[in-house]
Amino acid sequence: MKDVFIIDAQQISVQNPLSHDWMEHPIAYHEPYRRAIDPDFKQYFTPNEARRYGKILKRALLTARKVMENTAINNPDAIITGTGLGCVENTELFLEALTFEGEEMLKPTHFMQSTHNTISSLIAIDAKCHGYNSTYAHKGISFECALLDAFMQLSQGEITTALVGGHDEMTPKYFSMLEKTGYLGHAKDGFSGETAVSMMLSSEKNMKAMCRIKHVEMAYGEEVNGVEGVDIDAVMIGVNGATENDAVYAHIGQNLFPEKPLLHYKHVFGESYTASGLGLYAVATCLQQQRIPAHLFVNQNQKELQGVKNILFYNQFENKNHSLILLSSCGE
Amino acid sequence: MKEIVITGTGIISALGLGKEQTLNALTNNRSGIATLHYLKTAHTEFPVGEVKFSNEEMKQRLNIPETEVTTRTSLMGILAAQEALQQANLLTPQYALLHPKIALISGTTVGGMDKSEQFYADFLENNSKNDYIATHDCGTCTEMIAGHFGIFFLLETISTACSSAANAIMTGARLIRDGRADIVVAGGCECITKFHLNGFNTLMILDHELCKPFDAHRAGLNLGEGAAYIVLESSEFAQKRKIEPLCALSGYANTCDAFHQTASSSDGIGAYLAMKNALSNAHLQPADIDYINAHGTGTSNNDLSEGTAIERLFIDQIPPVSSTKAFTGHTTSAAGGVEAVISILALQNNFIPDNLNFKEKMPELTFIPSQENISHKTLKHVLSNSFGFGGNDTALIFSK
Repeated sequence: MKDVFIIDAQQISVQNPLSHDWMEHPIAYHEPYRRAIDPDFKQYFTPNEARRYGKILKRALLTARKVMENTAINNPDAIITGTGLGCVENTELFLEALTFEGEEMLKPTHFMQSTHNTISSLIAIDAKCHGYNSTYAHKGISFECALLDAFMQLSQGEITTALVGGHDEMTPKYFSMLEKTGYLGHAKDGFSGETAVSMMLSSEKNMKAMCRIKHVEMAYGEEVNGVEGVDIDAVMIGVNGATENDAVYAHIGQNLFPEKPLLHYKHVFGESYTASGLGLYAVATCLQQQRIPAHLFVNQNQKELQGVKNILFYNQFENKNHSLILLSSCGE
Repeated sequence: MKEIVITGTGIISALGLGKEQTLNALTNNRSGIATLHYLKTAHTEFPVGEVKFSNEEMKQRLNIPETEVTTRTSLMGILAAQEALQQANLLTPQYALLHPKIALISGTTVGGMDKSEQFYADFLENNSKNDYIATHDCGTCTEMIAGHFGIFFLLETISTACSSAANAIMTGARLIRDGRADIVVAGGCECITKFHLNGFNTLMILDHELCKPFDAHRAGLNLGEGAAYIVLESSEFAQKRKIEPLCALSGYANTCDAFHQTASSSDGIGAYLAMKNALSNAHLQPADIDYINAHGTGTSNNDLSEGTAIERLFIDQIPPVSSTKAFTGHTTSAAGGVEAVISILALQNNFIPDNLNFKEKMPELTFIPSQENISHKTLKHVLSNSFGFGGNDTALIFSK
């Protein structure tokens, strides 16, 4: 079994894009729905690209290009994306035309970029990567499915590098629909955000590696286990201010890790199907800097913690899908 | 490395429900493609491979109350998974003695789009169809299938368009080799929707006549629908629970054509690499392959690209090649599963399905697709191709 490292990670979200600013100065939000802060795409895309690609594709491509550039890994062995809903904007445009204008006047543009796998394949087309290319779309654990696929292939030595992403855009219309189902918009002090996060994984330890991924465990319907006997410093959880969701984490916190400080991230990045990708990125950033800033602690009296070595990341969706990921610092 | 074997298969398509009807149609050259009957669309001009049941009829078969919130894709998925689980002896109480960890890895792209396109105005304007907002996404489809059986400890959904089911099978094999699951039910499901029928129509890749894969005058694909799953486990585990494997999954590979979102490269580099890497994964030579179940959609672009890739890899030892999409229609995300089950039927029964509707050789290729229906030759290794939008190309090899 080979070790697996996160070498670099980049995000576009409701926080300042392509930056770790949120560690020091997280932007606080008090409304139920926020879209991501996009960088000036004109700087990064030709006018033709900027016009052709929807928001989710621009964000995915840009974060992917950044991590490839930062790691000098321009041709990763695998490109794997997790996305709960895929290319919502293009799907909606085609669906609206179908619903309100009928079946005779449709154009292919929006359909061509409506499938979930548009993201992974666009990155491959852009970087000319003929390697493994896949896309997982399973609700709130879509990102973990993608990560597990990469983790298995890396640890078994089938590949040595993998670009793993979590991407979800949230349009105003889709937000209003998910408000009706109860998933979004009902949190007392939480909000709906958007996710674009790309990370480069490698089985070769790079000087600049952010952290090591020690375990990835997933389960459906039952509580996940399999990470025992490790001295963890803290547990990152996905509380988002919604009663039912937070009750599951409270139960886990009290029963499985009663002594460990709990960390959260959705107050910084918001809720989205692949928000856990940003959560994992936040953990990796803490381990890279070997400190946990005070604002990440659920307990507001906690001060910044230095010298952290192991952080456990627990994510669940509707108390049915569960994942546990253990990350460790690369420092001596 | 653990040997992965297949201990059950299940299928529903335009050819019928179950393996028996499927085999019967295949060996008698009886296509399931017909005029539109179930889908409500303005485009009645296109022949399609519909599953010949209404949603209500599928619910009745499954004893699902008529009022229960379901989608056409998940109903077909349940029917196919049920047949696979039954054959693999996983629906009887004895199986539970070993407490196997069973995962369901399912591929779909349209998910609950059949309901979304029906109720989209309601989603936006009132609260009458909110239950179907929640069934729109791909993951919910897999959860509805799993919920019917209640035996799965891990669920994952793959969405790589027309190679989704083939990639689900590949991920399933990995989960077993990594020791994370004892048994994996893998495949895919997809119903025809107005959404993708119209999408394919705008791309001008639908044939107004019956599709003619690998024919010089091919003019596009016929859409199909269906679901198919195979049950994977290690040969040790099959032995332990005393179940006879049907065959082995001896090789697989996933590559990317990295050329265009909706078109294949002219040299078929993605297809070539997928087949080549699957052979090397299986430790086989091109000459070992006895039959290629091609992706063969019947579009001008796919068949030329795939045919070119086959010629490059197999050179002068091209085995019989056929596309079964003129039987089933292109079942999109389910295709990798449907064609895995067809490939396994071919292997078990030593026959090569006919490439229906072929008349004239493609001038660019040296080979013609297989015209013999029943071969008495013993088949040992069958290669099955599934290629998707974005160049998501996957090849699987099934062996006796």
